[in-house]
Amino acid sequence: MPEIVHKKQDRTGSFFLSPAAFWILLFTIFPLLYALYTSFYSFRFGQRNRFVGFTNYGRLFTDQNLHNALRVTLIFVIVTVTVEMLLGFALALLLNQEMRGKNFLRAITILPLFATPVAMGYLGITLFYEVNGPINTFIRFLGGEGIPWLSSPRWAPVAVMIVDIWQWTPFVFLVALAGLQSLPQDLYEAAEVDGGSGWQLFRHITLPLMAPTLWLILLLRLVEAFKVFDIPASLTLGGPGRATEVYSLFTYRTALRFFDHGYAAAQGFLLLVIVMTIVTILFGRIRGLYEEGS
Amino acid sequence: MSHSRSWLTARSVFIFGLIIIMLFWVLFPFYWAFVNSIKHPADTFQSSWIPFLQFQPTLDHWRNELAIRETRQALKNSTIISLGAATISVTLGTLAAYALARFRFNKPDNGFYTTWFLSQRVLPPVVVVIPFFLLMRQLHLLDSVWSLVLLNATFTLPFPVIILSQMFRELPIELEEAARVDGASRWQAFWRVALPLVVPGLVATWIICMAFSWNEFLFALSLTSNKAIPMPVIIAGAEHTRGVQFWFVGVRVLLTMLPPTILALLAQRYIIRGLTLGAVKG
Repeated sequence: MPEIVHKKQDRTGSFFLSPAAFWILLFTIFPLLYALYTSFYSFRFGQRNRFVGFTNYGRLFTDQNLHNALRVTLIFVIVTVTVEMLLGFALALLLNQEMRGKNFLRAITILPLFATPVAMGYLGITLFYEVNGPINTFIRFLGGEGIPWLSSPRWAPVAVMIVDIWQWTPFVFLVALAGLQSLPQDLYEAAEVDGGSGWQLFRHITLPLMAPTLWLILLLRLVEAFKVFDIPASLTLGGPGRATEVYSLFTYRTALRFFDHGYAAAQGFLLLVIVMTIVTILFGRIRGLYEEGS
Repeated sequence: MSHSRSWLTARSVFIFGLIIIMLFWVLFPFYWAFVNSIKHPADTFQSSWIPFLQFQPTLDHWRNELAIRETRQALKNSTIISLGAATISVTLGTLAAYALARFRFNKPDNGFYTTWFLSQRVLPPVVVVIPFFLLMRQLHLLDSVWSLVLLNATFTLPFPVIILSQMFRELPIELEEAARVDGASRWQAFWRVALPLVVPGLVATWIICMAFSWNEFLFALSLTSNKAIPMPVIIAGAEHTRGVQFWFVGVRVLLTMLPPTILALLAQRYIIRGLTLGAVKG
């Protein structure tokens, strides 16, 4: 990184920076403060009613439906992020090798990232269709029995997870591949001269060197996965029952279907606290790894 | 020798097999949407895959869908939202990126500003959805595409800031210094010297912001009700009035997904940096 030319802050610098800074201030700090204020009031049908102190936060501890949303979200996050990390990293190792058409393959692999999530959920309704959807047709072709993907509370979360895994595995792949390509090649050459096997190279060189990148991917994926909304909102509408009612969907309904604005704001802050805690813990760990490495 | 050769072949067959499975997994949903969008309704109940050979394709569903006023309106809304949001976001973001790359701030310092811009992507949108709803109601911007332009510009702002500040830092500073010696102002050094050199990154960032704004759903769902509805909301609303009509699903899904996907293919090279917020260089 070149030295920054202009040592002292001057007017021109602020001139460049302030439009974006004011924009963000206006559109995030204000709403956050407003949400905080809202969370201390009770609302009925969208009309501010009265100051209730921490009552809305107290409801967080006793609301069964909220606990259900938390549980659904946690299971979703753990399963999808684990599978995405494993699959994505494996795919990156696969496509990191020299082969014909690798640029084309990489381009195809990341397409799902940009497919509109709501559209994928909607398409999922036909893909998981129980009578003659392609997935059940395929399962029957293999001799299995059709799975009640969207009508069974046991299978609906799996369907949501599969769509999410389809969409986000390419993200892990993309970042892991970038990480693999920046590894120093001479280490591998030296190890090969010493007669290391493929597995040993992976275990003792690739994995330790990739650790910071993998932790970083984990952090970015966890943050996104906790915010999940689009896919369950379009594929299962949170159902059947509340089997796929993830946190954001539950909060959205509290706010805009039941107009319980104060309670929804309190729920929002609980989610923010969860996500910030994860970011803080993992970020400290990642910084440690980077400092160890350099 | 022959031993190692047969091992090599077995290995490449294995890799080839994995790649075929991977391609199938990625592309099947796109193909499924496409094939259903050109089938006669009766044909969608059969597992047939090859147009002309197994079934007679039709463009009726595309024609019907595009004849619906709401769909055309939604496509127009989505276009305005994504173009508008990406333009604001890249304009503000480029200026901020240049400031962070070429000026030193203190109290708060450059690092603080960078983290602050990044933190927008950590914030769960559902936390701020009510304040935005009330704010837009005050401004009489409910059910207006402009509210979504403003919000998507805000939530995509981290992308240009991070991608472009990295690119500005990689430019040789001497070019701008030479221009300054020749009497150019700081603004002219930025506008005439630095900016033209990052145009590829600028275009790519703009495309990433467009794709993300196009796909955004939560704010679109809560802030539009009628005339400002974009494509993702049209799709979400359709499923329970229409039931499962595979052919309409196919058309709508493709109309919605293709613009961002095709744009993203064009911006390939810069996507890694953008999506990892600069933590890993692409």
